[in-house]
Amino acid sequence: MKKLLVVSVVLVLFFAFSSVAWAQNQLRVMWAEYDGLTPEYAENLEKAFEKAYPDIDLVIISTPWNEFHDRLITYVAGGQPPDLSVIGTRWLLELLDMGVIEPIEKWLSEDLKNNIDPALLEGKVRGVLYGLPVAAGTRLMYYRSDIIDKPPETFEEMLQIALKINDPENKFYAVGMIGQKYVELTEYAYYLFGNGGYFFEILPDGSYGKCTVNDEAGVGALAFMNDLVNKYKVTQPGVTAYKRDEVQNLFISGNLGIILSGGFTATLLEQHNVPFKWDVAPMPHFEGKPQSTLIVTDSIVMFKDSKVKEAAGKFLDFFYSDEWRLEFDKLVGFPPVTKSLANHPYFQKPVYKVMIQQIPNAKGWPLMPEWPECNDIIWSNIEATFLGQKTPQQAMDDAAAEIDALRGF
Amino acid sequence: MFRKMIAREAKIAFWCLLPAVAFLMVFMFYPIFYVILMSFFKTNRLGNLVSYTGLGNYRFLFRRPEFWTIILRSCVWTALAVAVKTAFGLVIALSLNTDFWGRKVARSLVVIPWASSVPISAMLWQWTYNNDFGLLNHTLKTLGIWKNPPVWLAYPKPAFFANLWVDIWCGIPFMALVFLAGLQAIPTELYEAADIDGASSFAKFRFVTLPLLSGVLTVATLLSTLWTFNDFNVIYILTKGGPANSTDILITYIYKYAFQYLRFGPAASMAVITFIILLAVSIIYARAYFRERS
Repeated sequence: MKKLLVVSVVLVLFFAFSSVAWAQNQLRVMWAEYDGLTPEYAENLEKAFEKAYPDIDLVIISTPWNEFHDRLITYVAGGQPPDLSVIGTRWLLELLDMGVIEPIEKWLSEDLKNNIDPALLEGKVRGVLYGLPVAAGTRLMYYRSDIIDKPPETFEEMLQIALKINDPENKFYAVGMIGQKYVELTEYAYYLFGNGGYFFEILPDGSYGKCTVNDEAGVGALAFMNDLVNKYKVTQPGVTAYKRDEVQNLFISGNLGIILSGGFTATLLEQHNVPFKWDVAPMPHFEGKPQSTLIVTDSIVMFKDSKVKEAAGKFLDFFYSDEWRLEFDKLVGFPPVTKSLANHPYFQKPVYKVMIQQIPNAKGWPLMPEWPECNDIIWSNIEATFLGQKTPQQAMDDAAAEIDALRGF
Repeated sequence: MFRKMIAREAKIAFWCLLPAVAFLMVFMFYPIFYVILMSFFKTNRLGNLVSYTGLGNYRFLFRRPEFWTIILRSCVWTALAVAVKTAFGLVIALSLNTDFWGRKVARSLVVIPWASSVPISAMLWQWTYNNDFGLLNHTLKTLGIWKNPPVWLAYPKPAFFANLWVDIWCGIPFMALVFLAGLQAIPTELYEAADIDGASSFAKFRFVTLPLLSGVLTVATLLSTLWTFNDFNVIYILTKGGPANSTDILITYIYKYAFQYLRFGPAASMAVITFIILLAVSIIYARAYFRERS
């Protein structure tokens, strides 16, 4: 009996200590499921890293983009943040406001620091680097080059082409439009930026003033989108049911003439080996307005509560090596963020050229803690416009008033 | 001696129950207490209490017109879903209670929607509703039933009913199985006596089946009401509360405030309101149930 008790105690202690040791070496990385990125990539990365560092147990937590923000916040609010996480750089201030992010620079090797293009360090806030760029790219236009001879430069030209090629009887729609609420307000941003507008007034000190989506540019952008949907009916019907992947699927299946999207769509088109001809062109703009598009950057951040910061640094060095970054960049369709891959022959394709060509005039998302809620408010009002519940002016007036009230203006 | 034994037994019972009580306190009562507390406080983005605001969070909600719309929609959603689940469940249970060839297979088939997880069922229905590649509209068009069926998830009313149907579809098997168990507990002698009296099928249902099933009906509909009012999965997966918030119910609204906007104070107030509504419903049901029993 006594023997049994001793054996039991020893076993309990063994398992308790081994689980502590296990937990100490476990590195949890929240990983975004980018369009085009295959699950095999994450699996192979995990295996290769664990082979190189047998004492570290890498756990990649794959999450779809549309659920990423909420799942990450749930982890953080529940006191269980991962050690590293990919984030939309626009969420950085929100996380900083929560006080959960670690300055990342001291955990990076010199080689890695020197290999990142400084122009892409959007994760630097007040001189402190919190996020390392994971992906950065401007949005562009995809069109069916077997149907459209010359890509439109302006949205007005795009409408003229759309009226010619639209054929709803045969399930062919001229312009794809994302209408279901998504984690990113991309569709409206394309038309807003192309009309010379922005979401907020930029004050002289660089901070954000009142919401400006109800100015001429903001209302004009929504009015044009609404005309495409409801007046000219050149988009797929029932746009408010379509998320990004569904609109992409329509283009891939040959049911759309034009979509506005990111580099990942090119990867998907190549992966599917589509039977039609397609090409890319810079994002259109409105007549008399400068060309401008959305630039989206995602970063990888480290959490303050991480017990394995050194291991996290090792993982970053590993992931940012040319071998793994090249494959990652190819799959997600973004131009490289590392200098060592900038001139790689793979990135000389038109899709990358157009993305890089648009960078000087591109605009990013507002960096503010309240952005997820503002994003949601604007989305709801855009949907209300598409459903005929509000005019574009009413919708954007309501959105601006609610956002200003939320931000205390 | 006897008193001593009782005291000893009480002691043992106390120590045996203690872990369960501790578990309940930590994992059930503390979260409820904390949410109630949180509803009276301003919180930071991590949900920590910052400052006491009294009824501020409640006032904030009550001043928002959409909050009342969402309360009303939650009630309509629950009432419709529970009514249809009950009706379908009863019809299926009555059918499965009769003797016919293939009854075992039919009983197994009925369980399938309930045996599959709700998120997976919702995702399957999302594909079924898809306008371009979905089975539903393709079938409706091909069979000439509906030449131009709606894009189900794109417009407020079709989206609401599309969500509602998926919730109903997932919930019918539970009702059917519970009712079937209740039906099988009814003594066959009562039906035989009714037959001798020359009662019609409807009369047997009205005066034998329904009264003897009423206890099961009450409990099943109460459970269904509580689950349906809190059904988050279906709406979140199919429409995320859209288009233009037209399918939001209280539970999805709570999620938005808590995990998208990180405004835990109003979210906690909504959770308390949900708790009060469901508590009131449960009390009404319980009173009706026990009155009937007595």
